[in-house]
Order: sequence, then C-alpha cells, then structure tokens
Amino acid sequence: MKQVALKHSFWYLCLAMWLWAGTTTAQTISGKITDETGQALPGVNILEKGTSNGTSTGIDGTYSIRVSSGNAVLSVSFIGYLNQEISVGNQTAIDFNLALDQEQLKEVVVVGYGTQRKKDLTGAVASVGAKDIQKVPVSGLDQALQGQVAGLQISQSNGAPGGNTNILIRGIGSISGGNEPLFVIDGYPVTNSGIGNPLNTLNPNDIESIDVLKDASATAIYGSRGSNGVIMVTTKRGKAGKTRIEVDAYTGFQQVAKKLELMNSQEFAQYVIDGRNNGYLDNVPTGKITDPNSVRPNSYQIPSILQGDVSKLPTYDWQDAIFRVAPIRNYQVSASGGNENVRYSISGGYFDQQGIVISSGLQRYSFRANLDGNLSKRMKVGISMLPSFTIQDDVEAIGHSSNAVIQAALAISPYIPIYDDQGNYTNTFAPKEGDISYAHALNMAKNLKIDGTQFRFLGNAYLEYEVVKDVKLKTTFGTDLNYSKTRRFEPSSLNPTLSIGQSVARANNAEISNWLSESTLAYKKNIQKHSIDALIGFTAQNATSNTINATAVNFPDLLLDNISGGTVNAGGESFVVHNMLSFLGRVNYVFNGKYLVTATMRRDGSSRFGADNRWGNFPSASVGWRVSEEAFLKKVNAISELKLRASYGLTGNNAIGDYRAIGLISSTNYAIGNVLTPGLSRSSFTNAELGWESMKQLDLGLDLGLFKDRITITVDYYEKTNTDMLFNIQTPSATGLTEAVVNLGEVQNKGVEFGFSSRNLTRAFKWTTNFNITFNKNEVTAMSTDAEKILSTSGGRAAYAITQVGSPIGSFYGRRILGIFQTDEEAKAYGKQPFAKGGDTKWADLNNDGKVDDNDREVIGSPHPDFFFGFNNNFSYKNFSLDILTSGMIGQEIWNQTFSVANSGVQNGLKEIAQERYISPSQPGSGRYGRSIRGSRNGGSAGYAVQDGSFVRIRNVSFAYSFPSQLVNKLKVNALRVYATATNLFTFTNYNGYDPEVSNSGDDLRAAGLDFGTYPQARTYSFGVNLTF
Amino acid sequence: MSTYNKSTGRKIGLFLSVLLCLNACEKSFLDQAPQTTRSEVNFYKSSSDFNNALIGVYANLKHVGLYANGSGALHVMTEIVSDNTENGATRQAVNQGIFEINDFLTLISTDRVRDCWIGLYTGIGRTNSILDRLPSASIAQADKDKYEAEAKFMRAMFYFHLVRLYGDVPIITQEITSPYGANEITRSPINQVYDLIVADLKTAESKLPLSIPAAQAGRATQGAAKVLLGKVYLTLKQYDNASAKLKEVIDAKTYDLLSKYGDVFAHTTSFTANKELIFAVQYLGGQIGQGSNMWSEWAPFNAGTALLGSGGGAGNGFNKPTTDMANAYEAGDLRKDASMLTSYKSLSGQEVKEAYVVKFRQQGALAGDSDVDFPILRYADVLLMYAEALNEQGKTAEALPFLNQIRKRAGLADKTGLNQADFRLAIEQERRVEFAFEGHRWYDLIRTNRQQIVLSAKGLAIKEFHKLFPIPQREVDLNANLTQNPGY
Repeated sequence: MKQVALKHSFWYLCLAMWLWAGTTTAQTISGKITDETGQALPGVNILEKGTSNGTSTGIDGTYSIRVSSGNAVLSVSFIGYLNQEISVGNQTAIDFNLALDQEQLKEVVVVGYGTQRKKDLTGAVASVGAKDIQKVPVSGLDQALQGQVAGLQISQSNGAPGGNTNILIRGIGSISGGNEPLFVIDGYPVTNSGIGNPLNTLNPNDIESIDVLKDASATAIYGSRGSNGVIMVTTKRGKAGKTRIEVDAYTGFQQVAKKLELMNSQEFAQYVIDGRNNGYLDNVPTGKITDPNSVRPNSYQIPSILQGDVSKLPTYDWQDAIFRVAPIRNYQVSASGGNENVRYSISGGYFDQQGIVISSGLQRYSFRANLDGNLSKRMKVGISMLPSFTIQDDVEAIGHSSNAVIQAALAISPYIPIYDDQGNYTNTFAPKEGDISYAHALNMAKNLKIDGTQFRFLGNAYLEYEVVKDVKLKTTFGTDLNYSKTRRFEPSSLNPTLSIGQSVARANNAEISNWLSESTLAYKKNIQKHSIDALIGFTAQNATSNTINATAVNFPDLLLDNISGGTVNAGGESFVVHNMLSFLGRVNYVFNGKYLVTATMRRDGSSRFGADNRWGNFPSASVGWRVSEEAFLKKVNAISELKLRASYGLTGNNAIGDYRAIGLISSTNYAIGNVLTPGLSRSSFTNAELGWESMKQLDLGLDLGLFKDRITITVDYYEKTNTDMLFNIQTPSATGLTEAVVNLGEVQNKGVEFGFSSRNLTRAFKWTTNFNITFNKNEVTAMSTDAEKILSTSGGRAAYAITQVGSPIGSFYGRRILGIFQTDEEAKAYGKQPFAKGGDTKWADLNNDGKVDDNDREVIGSPHPDFFFGFNNNFSYKNFSLDILTSGMIGQEIWNQTFSVANSGVQNGLKEIAQERYISPSQPGSGRYGRSIRGSRNGGSAGYAVQDGSFVRIRNVSFAYSFPSQLVNKLKVNALRVYATATNLFTFTNYNGYDPEVSNSGDDLRAAGLDFGTYPQARTYSFGVNLTF
Repeated sequence: MSTYNKSTGRKIGLFLSVLLCLNACEKSFLDQAPQTTRSEVNFYKSSSDFNNALIGVYANLKHVGLYANGSGALHVMTEIVSDNTENGATRQAVNQGIFEINDFLTLISTDRVRDCWIGLYTGIGRTNSILDRLPSASIAQADKDKYEAEAKFMRAMFYFHLVRLYGDVPIITQEITSPYGANEITRSPINQVYDLIVADLKTAESKLPLSIPAAQAGRATQGAAKVLLGKVYLTLKQYDNASAKLKEVIDAKTYDLLSKYGDVFAHTTSFTANKELIFAVQYLGGQIGQGSNMWSEWAPFNAGTALLGSGGGAGNGFNKPTTDMANAYEAGDLRKDASMLTSYKSLSGQEVKEAYVVKFRQQGALAGDSDVDFPILRYADVLLMYAEALNEQGKTAEALPFLNQIRKRAGLADKTGLNQADFRLAIEQERRVEFAFEGHRWYDLIRTNRQQIVLSAKGLAIKEFHKLFPIPQREVDLNANLTQNPGY
C-alpha cells in the first residue's frame, strides 16, 4: 500500500507541475483575505480547483496565485470558516471576506476510534494544539505539556536529558499497578518500552494536536487500559494545497538553575570534629573529649588533617567539577501538500541535548511520513510512519554518594582536591586516620560509561471503505518496533583500592515488538432533528518483549570496555508475551443540536488476567445539554455557549505486569561440591482470579462561552473510585512466601478542574490568557485490613512513605518532631528518649508508652500537591509576540535526604547547617538543625527532611518576531520568524535543595517526593528561526 | 440496488466471520505461559525437579534471616546478642536493628528478628512443597527416600532454630497455596514442635546415606541427622537419648578431630580431608553470587586495603569480638590466634587496636567472595555434647576424656578432678572458645538457662524475658491469633 500511495503521489506531482508550467493563457491573481471582522487571515489555503496548484496567505493575509486560465475557479478554505469559491474570469485582484462556520467553529477533537465535534462532546476532553507544544525547547512532549491542561499533572522528577517524568491524569489511581495514562499515537495505543522515557522517541514538532481524555465517558472505549486517562497524540498530516516546506532550527545553552551553597573547609572541620567528639562521648561511656585517636574506635577518630591549624585549608567546590554549560540544538525540515486525492506530510529532524552534568546527553534522529489518498470515491487509504533513532549517554547521577555523581560531589570533604599533585584524580578511597572513603565524582562521571541506543518504528496503515452510504468500514494494521540496547562499563579504575580484575561490564539488548489489528464499522446519519454517530469494532494486539543481558567480570586489563573484555558470569533471556482481544462499541445521539447522549462499551480479554477471570466489560454513559441552544438563553447575547455534562463509567487498568497470575518457580542456586548448582524454589502464589484494576468515575462538567466565545470556561468535578487494585499483600511467612498479588482495596480521587481562556485584547495589540487549575484529593479508602501499612522507600533509604487507609498514597511517615533539646537536663527530664542529649531531636511519644521508637510514627507530610496550575499569557503586537508560561504546584512536601542536610558530621552539607546547627546550650542555633554527631544513639530518621515543596515557576518566556511578508517574499520565502526562549527562568520556592520538582522513585508513586541526589533541572536559553517556503 | 445490498451484506458477513474466527482462536491467543521463567505448571515432576527443589532448600541457609553471606540475622541473634561479639560499625539507620539486639533493646519491630522468622519459614515452606508432592510423584523409590530424608533434615533444622529463638511457633507441615492460608494459624506448644523435629530427624537418620562423595559436599548425611538429633535431645534434657545418639557417631569413626584447629576452617582443606566437618554452609568464590563475606564484612570498620588488600573491601566491623571474648582464652590456647586478633597495622604502619574475627579469613579474596564454609555441625561439638550428656547423667569421670580431647588439640593441659557442677562450667567455657563466632554461644547459654546470670554479671542489660525473641510485629499484624512472648 505504501508503494501504491507513493507512486500516486509522484504521478500527481508531475501532473501538477506540467499543468502549471504548460498553460499558455495563464494569469496571476492576487488579493487579501480577511475574517468577519476585517482582520487579515494568515495561512489560508487558496487552491485552483481541480488541480494541485495552490498557495496560502502570508502574515498580512495577502496572496498571489498564477492560474491556468480564466476558466479557473479559486477555492479558499480555512479551518473554522466556510469555504468560498470564485470563478476567476478576467479578474486579477480578488479579495475574500470569510464567514465563520458556526458548525465547524468548535474544533474537532480526537477521541478513541474517531473524532467528534467539540460541541457534541459529553465527556471531559482537553485539547492542546501544535503551537502550544512547540513553545518550549524540550526533548519530549510530556515536558511541553506541563501546565497546559487542567487535570494533567506532569512533574519532571529528573533533570537529565530524556529523564523520567511523572504523568498523572486526575490523581493516582493505583497503588502498585501503573499510573501512567495510555498514549495513543495516531490511533495506535503504545506500550511504554525501550530505554528511558518512551516519549523521547517522538519529535514534539511532528505533533499536530494532543487531546487528553479524562473522564470515563471518553476513556471507557479503551476499556482495561483507560482508567489512568488517555493522551491522544495526532501527528501532522498533509492538506490539499501548495507544497509547503518548513525549516525550524534552534540552538541554545543550558546551565544548572541553582547551585547549593555548601560549607567551606573551616566550617566543615568544626562540624566533623564536633560530630566525632559527640559520638565518642555518647558511645564510649569512659571516653573523654581529650582522648587521642589511638584509643578511640575508628568511627570517632578525628581526621588527622583536621588536628592542626585548619584555617589555611583550601575549599574545593566539587559541584563545579561535574556541572557544565551544555548546548542544546534542534533542526527540522518538513514538507506537506498534495491535492484532493493524495496528501502528504513528511519531516526529518535532529535533536541534540547535552546534559548539565558532564557525560550525559540525548540525541535523536526522527522522521515522519504521513500519506493519505483516495483510491476511489468510496475508498481511502493512508499510512503513517514514525521512525526514530535515539542515542542516550547516561551518567550515574542519582542516589547514594558511593555510586552516584551528585551526592558524591556534595558529600565529599571540601578540603579534598579534585586532582592530586601529579594531575591525576585524587585517591578519595584510601581514608587516612579518621577520615572516610568517598567516590570520586568526576572520575565516576567521566569513566563510568552508560550508553544506550534505541531504534523505534511506529507505523500504521488504514483502509477506509464506504460500504453503503453513511456506513464506513475502517481496517487498520500497525506495528510498533523497538530495538534498544544499553551498555555499561564500570572500570576498576573508578576506585584505586580495587584490583584490576574488578571491572564490571553489562550488556542488554531488547527487542520489543507490538502489532495491532483493528477493524471498525461506523455509521453516521442526520435525520431531521436526529443525529446519530455509531461505531462497533474489534481489535487484537500483541506485545512481545525479548531481552537478553549479560554481565562480565574478571577483567585482565582495561583495554576493552565491554563484556568481551572479561569473563561473562551472569546473563539471561526474558521473553514476555502480552496479548489482548477487544470488542468495542459507541453510540452518540444528538437531538435537535441540544440534547446529547453517548454510550460506550468495551470488552477486553487479556493474557495477563488469570484463567478464571480473563474477560472484562467496561461500559460508560454520558449526557449533555446545550442550554445555550434553548430559546430562553438564545436571547442572552453575552452567553455564546453553555453546556452541562454528566458522565459515569467503568474503566480498567491492566498495568499489572505479565504472568502475575501464575505461580512461578525461581532460581535459588547454591554451591554443592564446590560447584555452582542450580536450585529452584516457589517464588509466587498462583492466583487464577487475578484481574484488572477497576475504576468507576463520575464527572460533572460545565462549558461556558461568553461574548462570542472570547472567554471560555470549563469546569469539571470528578469522583474516581479505584477498586480491585493490584495489590502486593504481605502474607504471613508461615505460608512460605511473604507476599502475594491479589486484587484488593480502594482508592479515591476527588477533584475540581477549572480551565479559563480569554482573548483579552484583540485589536492590534493582542493578549490572550489561558489559566487552568486543578484541586485533587487522594485517599486510600480500603486495604486488606484497616491496620495494614505499606511502607515504601527508594534510593536505599529507610522507609519514609506509607500507604494506609485514610491517607493519600505514599504519605510521608515518620516521628513527629517537637523540637531540639536545648540541654542534657531537658532531654533527661523528657524521659522518653534515654540516649538523647542537648542538641538531639525531641519526638512526640504518640502511643504514650513512655518511650519514643518506631511505633511512634505518623503521617508527617505528603508528596502530592493540594493544587497545581498553569497560567499562560500570549501578547502580540504587529509582528512581535511574547509568550510567558508559568506553572506551579502548591502544598506538597519533599523528603530531602541529600547529604547536604544530614547531621552525621561525616559528609559535607549546606552552609546553613554550619551556621544554624546546635552547638551548645549557649549556641543553640536557629532550632532547625540539631547537633553534629556520628553514631547517634538517639536514632530515628531526621524529621527535618520533610520540607515544603511548593513552587511557582516561570517555565518559559519566548519572544518572537515575524518578518513582514513583503520583505521575505523578495527572498523567495513565504514566512520568516525568529525567536528567543528562556526556559525554567525562575522558581519561587522555599525548598533548599536543587529543585522542588523532584522524586527519586521514578514511576513508583508509593515512594514519591524523595530528593536523594537528584539530577538538577537546567535553565535553558535558546534562539531559533522558522522558515516557510 | 439489490445486488449492491447483497454484496454489502456479504462484506458485513465477512467482517462478522472474522470476528467469530478471532473469538475461536481466543483461547490460544490469550493463554500465555511464561517461557523464560519456570512456573508451577510443569514443575515437581521429574526426579531432577525434586533434586533442584532440594538445592533450593539448602540455598535457604544463605537467606538474609539465617547466615546470608556472612551478615545474616542468625549471627546477630546467636553471637552479637551474647558476650562474644558486638557490632563494630558506626550506628546508623541501616544497622539500628543489630544494635537493638546488641543492647537488649530488642523491639517487636527489630528487623533482624523479623528476617530470621521469615528466613526459617521460607525454608520450611520449601521443604513442605517437596514433601507434599513426593508421595504421588512417579520417580524411583530410592530417590523419594533420599529427598524425603534431606527435606526432613532441613525442616527439622529450621524448626529447631525457631523453637529455641521464639518458643511456641506455628507448625506448618504442608504447602500453603492460598495467600490467606496462614492468617489464623496459632502457635503450637514447644513440646509439639520438638515432637515434629524428633520425628523428622528419625526419618532423616533412617533414610540418609552414610556418606556422600566430594561432589555432593554440602548435603545432609546420616551422621548429620544423628548429631542434630543428639543436639535436640541434649536441649530437651533427654541426656540418655543424647548420649546414646552421639555415641553412635563417635563409634562409627566417620568423623575425627583435625590435628590443627585452624585447618577446620581453612578453605584449602579439602572435603575429604576435613573429617571434622559434618554439616556446613557452603561458600564458593569466583563472583558467582556464592561467596562469603565473613572476611571483609567482619574485618574492622574501615580497615580497608591495609588489612584486606586490593579489592578486598572496606571492612565493616560486623561481629566484632568483645574484650571479654579476648580474655576468655586461657594463656597458650592455640585456638585464639586462629579465631581472632586484636589489632592490625594501618597503611602508615601504625597499630590499630580493633579486634576482629580471623576464623573465616581468606587473605586475597575479593570483597564478599571468599570460599570459607561456615560450620553448623562439627565433630568437636559431638565430643563436647557427649561429655555434657554424660556429665548430666552423673558420669562425670566418663565424660572428662572427651573434654580433654578438645583441650589437648588446643594446646591446653588436661582438666582433672572436676565435680559435676564444675564440669558444667568447664564445658560452658570450653564450648565458648572452641565454637566462638560459630553461632553456638547464645544457644549454649539458654540451653543451660545460664544467660541471665552470665550476661548480667558482665554488665549487659539482659532481663529474664530476653531468653526468647519477640514474635515479629509483621507476623502479628497479619495474624491476630499469634500471641506475643512475655516482656515485649
């Protein structure tokens, strides 16, 4: 089919050129096209009817076209306006004044398996256009969507190029299943796969529109994959008209948005000395502060370098060694056009972002080819192809200082230089007396190699055939191929105390293929006041993931940096199949343009579900009432649109992992007879009942348009109840296993979304405002028992988050801090912390048992915001335009576990700790930080780790200038636009870490909000040019 | 128009028949079994399946709640808790549980107590999975007997730990297939647990092979079952049964003391040469996940390359001998230097005074990757248990040569003229130094009910209720029928 379409397209192009060049009675017509208010309309298509000869208007609304003869008919079309046709005759100047198409005015939105006019919508769907996606120079559309849509919460928890983002539609609905929405790209539901963030493979510039399906009415058509919401991505397709070639290029640089101010060597010295002395006196009852190192246990020895005069010690800021000013650039060329029978849109792009931490970066080569053709009056075919190649260079940035760059740079003693006298990396591993070993941040960043590549091909072909009038059969076949590999080499030279053989290399190849076959039968009919739009269909989808990995050790040298250099000692293959069969149906019925009803149904069967629970049904129903169409409101001129909506439905979440229903047997090897001997043991329960997670959602919505839709407001209230969640219950060890996967529990999300958009000024100086805000409340309402607590952690920290009935998922959990004991006597008088002294944290004895321990923990914060918002403004005057995007999240907390706020007197920390810590009753500090102590017997987690994480961010400021068309037309250019953009310009926050948008746990939202050596966010300045031929 | 309609009908018919076809092949399309992970669907069928499952039982000895690779909970609950060792690392959140046990501040939430319970029941679950399916398995009877005996030996060992550490515990003798299958099980009295242990060991003893070839080193033998049974009898104070059983082992002459104490632990001593080892946790270096960490983890905190050499790790001070332990050795005891040292030289040549265990030393091994096996049952234990059993039956004079046999190898003079009470103390002292760091001390003290007197005399904060560890909070939360031990 692809070949046929290409051939056709080529043939038509030739024909068009011949027609254009060969006409003798050609004449040129020019004119201006304006809207109903007389304003110039740029980008209007003008086509010589019956040919592919066409053009479009420039920024000032003018056009010029050469037609074959006086018999030619000019056809003028523009989205949202009625088409006009005029016979040329002998005219040479024709102006058009386009009238608004009241029917089409409301844009069409992409819904599952079709499109719908927005005015007919009864579900909660929000749309974002190409312009809003391309404002921000970022690697993926997820970052571009931040702050654009009410109810869509996107946080970039990791600042690395292509790093992970958390995308939530209307809150967290699953405790241990997936929470990401379903992404549907040109009708193809994709599964997350490949290296890094799966959206990295998609060039944001290729996107025409994004529609976010939020309520059950909109998502139930995706059945067991709909409960987390659906994001429909539509790539650009060709329109009939003149060939349009666009070049877009930007380049810029990034830098770390904020550096932490750490202690200098003198402050650090005193902090360490105090920490060792306090620890010694507390742990060794016979100890005296004057005792020399020779009688102290290693933990309490004072580093020899700190025993003399420390005032001359130099201070090295290791942050400077790992951060850099990093370039970012993007180039894209695209072409589109065609005629009524064949239309095409193709593009090629290159994106290159180096990270602000050395040795990190992302490169992407992306291509797109979309072709649509009419084979006959009744038959249409089309094809979409989105191949891309991504190269990722990673740095081990996040986590504990012993194996991650950020913490290593923060934690190291500031008097340790980066290079030694010979110019080699300082040996930070062989601690001298009383000192500790550190990883060398720079060595690790440069020489620990983590590279990945990914080839992805997303392709989709369809055939649409009008079986009888009003009935269309559409068959689609598509495939999503993902071939990725990662290579990692950890040379022994990272740590001079290792022997040379201790290098480790890892290789991982993944081949993930996915195919989809889809057939739908659609019926669309208007009979007098009745309008019906119905659809039935079935789909089959297969996902096969095959990965192979190998690890090699025992390297004789460092000459090879891959598994061939050593002895392969571990490896394996994984082959996982996930199959789905589905039946679906939908009916939209509109009476008199006022009363709207939609009902959908999907039946999903999945190989993931247990044998006794293989099929699920997912119905939804919704109603709408366009009050503004009623006679009594038609007279009210101020109200141009008022619609009330209500929907209710059932959807599911099948992100429960594969083969979870089947009892597995795992390797438990042992050494018998001094030979590695395979052993096998039961590792999970069989649960033939295991199924999808269910979600019931109620949505009540209101759409209001005022003053001919100059102001539009959308308000939605929703209640989501997730039940039968995939639940890792703890089981008594007496069963032989400690956990089991079952469907259980209930989580509720309730919220209000408010979206507002206004064209404040519409004359020469234009100003539009978009504002959206979302309030969501998450609460676990049932678990296996009311007493059950799921404690969670990430980054190897002690458990800090809890999921329990009555609290939001993943609430911060710890002891309640009452303050810092000012004196030993005060601590003793409190009587509940036997080992506490002045300067130690005082905790509440919540269960009143006379002692403070881990049974005195409670919820002490939440990583989830009370509300989040986006506030976006566009100003334009003549050829200048200015976009300012701000967004914010308010009310969430962060569990800050970077060493920079520890008080162990071991690792370096924030300068404010040196200045504010408790030293003695006469120097109590600010009350925020306790005393420095290594090996505290007072125990417990540092509760001051919980900090306010609220922030408001100026996400993007973009300034653009479009050159006048008279000027650029002389350069044979249709339009020329230049722009400058500043991203992440400023953040208002009280948080003392790098960035309040942070989480170490990736997609595990039970342990969200931990800051433990996070890759900081960059501030980016870029400059771009946009050329249209 | 009518033909048009017909063809349309056909087309829609085709569409529907495709639907139906897909429906028909649904079964095979949606029935997917794992292809790169083994599942219960086809396991426990052949003799090798059962053999592999048994290896999984032995592998459980390396559960983090048992011995792990040198840092397991059993080391904490049998050595660090006692006067033998303490934790030599800096206090921090990750080792809080070790210090809680070390300081007799054990909580129901103490992680090591929880891990140990989990580890032992995990092992029991694995044996039950085998024992449930053996009777109906179509494999050779000889294989059935052997696997049954090995599984029961291991099950008895796991229960023996449980009953001594926690007291009354739930008895599980069948595989539990429902996640909720143990939610209401109650604790069974100690004597019933011991009945099961004795019965299992009797079966094991009758069906286990007399000896195993070197290629099977690490698996249970009849001797191991007898020694463990002897130990159980001794713990039950059935001294006649104990001495009878242990005498069978001595008389069989399968095992013997090695002439040099240190050779018992040396990885260079071959399986055939090491006639003293009866049952041991098997370790194997080579970066295959089977190495022991008992050298680098137990080396002094932060000793680094000075002691451990390049690639040998940092040293974590785990299971650090106390000064009291160092002083427990009589002058001239050859076992002391083979068991522990009290200082090492730093890189700059300074002497660092930190005690550490050298019994499982393998100089030059990479961190966590040494070969040294960890003995669970060895012949010296047989001799000392036999002596103890005889003494308790009033046969002190008869018992004395066995004590002196151990002392002789240690380079110490014979004991003479002890009365029964003195002999008890002599055995207690001898066992302490002979089996230091091998996980015997706590069990020896509670067997003789001496823990309170001995440990509190040394200033440890032990109270009477500490003779049992608490039932872990995790388990009580999941099963309301589990009662808590007194004092917690």
